[in-house]
Amino acid sequence: MAKSDLLPGTLDMLVLKTLSLAPLHGYAIAQHIERSSQEVLQVEQGSLYPALERLQRDGLITSKWGMSPTGRRARYYTLTASGRRRLGQEISDFDTMLLAIGRVLGRA
Amino acid sequence: MSWLDGLRHRVRAVLRPGDHERDLRDEMGFHEDLDAMQQRDVGRARLRFGNRTYYLEETRAMTWLRWLDVLRQDLGYAWRSVRRTPGFTAMVVVTLALGIGVNAAVFTILDVLYLRPPSGLRDAGELRRVWFVTSGSRMMDGKGRTSTTANMFMYRAVVEASGRPRNFALYTTDNALTLGRSIAGPTVRGVMASANYFTVLGAKLALGRFYTAQEDSLGAGSRVVVLGHRFWQREFGGDTAMLGRPIEIGLEAYTVIGVVAPEFTGLDLQAADAWFPLGAPPGWGSGRWWESPNAWRFTIIFRSWEGGGDAEFEQRATAAYVASNREVWPVNPDTLGSVRTGSIIEARGPGTQGQDLIISTRIGGVAVIVLLIACANVINLLLARAVSRRRELAVRLALGISRGRLIRLLTTETVLLAAFAGAAALAAAWWGGALLRALLFPEVTWYDSVLQWRVVVFGAAVALLCGVVAGIVPAVQASNPQLVPALKEGAREGSAHRSRLRGALVITQAALSVMLLVGATLFVRSLQNVQGLDIGYDAKVLLFGTVNFDQGESMPASVKAAEMARVAERLRARPGVEGVAGARYAPMWAISWMTFYWDADSSFSLGRNIPTWQPVTSSFFETVGLRILRGRAFEDGTGAPREMVVDEAMAHQLWPGAEALGRCIRFEKRENPCYTVVGIAETSRQSRVIEEGMKPQYFIPIGNQPEEGRLATLLIVRARPDLVGAVSAGMTSSLRQAFPAGHPTVTPMTQNLEPEYRPWRLGATLFTAFGMLALIVAVIGIYSTVAYGVTQRTREFGVRMALGARVGDVLRLVVGEGLRVVVIGIAVGIALALAAGKLIAALLYGVEASDPGVMLLVAAVLLVVAGLAALGPAWRAARVDPVVALRSE
Repeated sequence: MAKSDLLPGTLDMLVLKTLSLAPLHGYAIAQHIERSSQEVLQVEQGSLYPALERLQRDGLITSKWGMSPTGRRARYYTLTASGRRRLGQEISDFDTMLLAIGRVLGRA
Repeated sequence: MSWLDGLRHRVRAVLRPGDHERDLRDEMGFHEDLDAMQQRDVGRARLRFGNRTYYLEETRAMTWLRWLDVLRQDLGYAWRSVRRTPGFTAMVVVTLALGIGVNAAVFTILDVLYLRPPSGLRDAGELRRVWFVTSGSRMMDGKGRTSTTANMFMYRAVVEASGRPRNFALYTTDNALTLGRSIAGPTVRGVMASANYFTVLGAKLALGRFYTAQEDSLGAGSRVVVLGHRFWQREFGGDTAMLGRPIEIGLEAYTVIGVVAPEFTGLDLQAADAWFPLGAPPGWGSGRWWESPNAWRFTIIFRSWEGGGDAEFEQRATAAYVASNREVWPVNPDTLGSVRTGSIIEARGPGTQGQDLIISTRIGGVAVIVLLIACANVINLLLARAVSRRRELAVRLALGISRGRLIRLLTTETVLLAAFAGAAALAAAWWGGALLRALLFPEVTWYDSVLQWRVVVFGAAVALLCGVVAGIVPAVQASNPQLVPALKEGAREGSAHRSRLRGALVITQAALSVMLLVGATLFVRSLQNVQGLDIGYDAKVLLFGTVNFDQGESMPASVKAAEMARVAERLRARPGVEGVAGARYAPMWAISWMTFYWDADSSFSLGRNIPTWQPVTSSFFETVGLRILRGRAFEDGTGAPREMVVDEAMAHQLWPGAEALGRCIRFEKRENPCYTVVGIAETSRQSRVIEEGMKPQYFIPIGNQPEEGRLATLLIVRARPDLVGAVSAGMTSSLRQAFPAGHPTVTPMTQNLEPEYRPWRLGATLFTAFGMLALIVAVIGIYSTVAYGVTQRTREFGVRMALGARVGDVLRLVVGEGLRVVVIGIAVGIALALAAGKLIAALLYGVEASDPGVMLLVAAVLLVVAGLAALGPAWRAARVDPVVALRSE
């Protein structure tokens, strides 16, 4: 299967989902999205950072500097309570949409 | 709290942009390095990351910089469109500038009166003034009032009730002192204040020290003075060596001990020049004024203290005040009076407001109305233009601009226009504010500039508000076209609701203009009524001449009187002089002075209506134009018989229903010789142009008065109406010749009376000016609406003409439609004017705020003007060539 761009607007949801498992730094978030989609979803990795900034501004995630296992300073992102709520909302919206698209394609 | 996290993040990004940026770089570097390790290829990691600079930029753009950037875009757009239509821009800017300028100018006044505490005070919010509510039992006019005026007894009562003497101070102002012996010397606006005045206010010094309680002890004070900074600069060139040196105030020498800091100018509107201890006030002589309850001229101030609630203190002070009243006035004490406290900003206190103040606040309302009209006009213009830009906006919307963004774009444009207008308005306010100050407070010399930063902020805020309000309505309208018809149709107005909105705007303008014009007409009527009052004197042709001498240089009374008589004789021969008289006081400036007895039984109380005493020469009556109704004038001269003239009011007061001629009045003592009433004069005004009831007055020959009263210190000349100026100059030179050592002054009676007419003149001037402004703006609005409607309906008119309509038909149609809206506006305006009438009712004279004649007049004026405004476009509509109109689409 070819590598695919993300649907617009889904990056936030993926980041939130990723962070719902554990606090991670930016690179680890990118890695996780890539791997768990079995390398199908490819983000241009830099685009992650504006998204992280936006999520922080909206208070959906917070960040703290810490040490990475390699001993370098890294910024770890954590999901906030409202981030968790938003994630639920986005997933349900997404499901609704998928269902709708499926119906249109005659698969439901 | 998640939103708080978000906020913290934003704030940090704004406050510490450097840190924020470094963190980002670090983070991205870390990412790339890790990926390079993972991929074992630096180049590949770079590629996978994408354009780092771009993402850095994108992330950074989320700070306020991005907002600035968008603003820059919007402004660029706005600027281009503003430049494309210079005529439109000029119209909007001028209209708004007038509206904003008027408000900023009025704000300069209201700020000083109501908002800004006097400068140079420490914690002005803690400072209070004390007001006394008097029930009127001790007032000449019998009217109760609330004022800050107090005597020493009231001060002591209040201070004692507080138990905190250190928090209290009292002061009074004397604006008539002069520097040096000459009365023509520079005026000194002096404040006589207790020693703790400075500590209570927290005033600061530039130089030297304030006076001590010792130096301020009553009856044993020291002659020391603290100078105002500006006075010190002006009169002494800011010489620091003035400290310790004496200055002459009149005949008394005061040692300069300090100069206050520049920002401290006292508590009154008029900046003070010098402060003197109450223990040694200049020009008060050696009398023990603090023991007299009639020394009723002080203002009490205090700094509020913790735990001293105002209401509780007012209660205790009231009790003390009433108790002291009982002691001080054994007869008829004011036991209903009370004590109130209030802001150090006098106009905010509970005091009875003077007409100046009332007018100032009403003018504030008027200014807001002018602004509303201006805004309505601008909205109207913008709406008209938005229609002609429909296609452009539709294209933008079709290309995907969001509605919010489009509204912002359009609003930015009006805000930009309003900003220009605001700048122009500040220039207008600078000029207008100075004008208003001079109009409203002619006696005050203002030291501070009209344009305080507060005025600038106010002007900017109003401009911004105007821009947003005027911009948002048309922008919302314009951003919501039905795309397809808008793109297809060209610039023709389709929907009816839009023109309904424009109609509503014209109605608003017309209504508000009616309100202002009604106000203006009411004031003009009042002024006419007041000026038309018969005061008994021919004020327009009367000139008063006096001579004053420098202190210590007066000449013997008899010499002066003789010299005056010679001047009078000389003047009589001059061309243009129709009469010359001498008097003790100027008409309407006489006083009640003597006790007198009439008939056998004079135990009857005259109450408050005490007759005024006026010694005059026999030529007085014909000179001033006071008619003798019955009997004759008396003769004067040193040996003249004891005769007198009373006015009708006095004759009626003393001998109601009986003949007054031939009666007898004895002055001062019951056994003194008798003055016979030989004439009854018409009743004139005693002291005010408007007086309740008839005020009694009597005239006695000036020549046979005791020494003190014999001085005909005032020369009254009646001039031919066309030669008043020349006669006045002649009087001045004659007096100067006769009294080389004196300072002669010649004043027309009209000048003396001017303050009496001032409130009405002020109201008439300001309301008329603002009303005319409003009318002009409203007429522009009506014109542009009708003109716009005509261009929109060119085709329709073409069809009408083609079908046989005549010029008159089209004219009637267009003008009629324009006027229909105006008529509704007039009706609404009259309703508003009736409702607002009670706000100015107290300022009117001889005319009701709801006067139907005034309403009709204003309605007629507006109709005619609006009709004329509509006629131009209507004429254009009637001249439409059907062929051209029909072919155009």
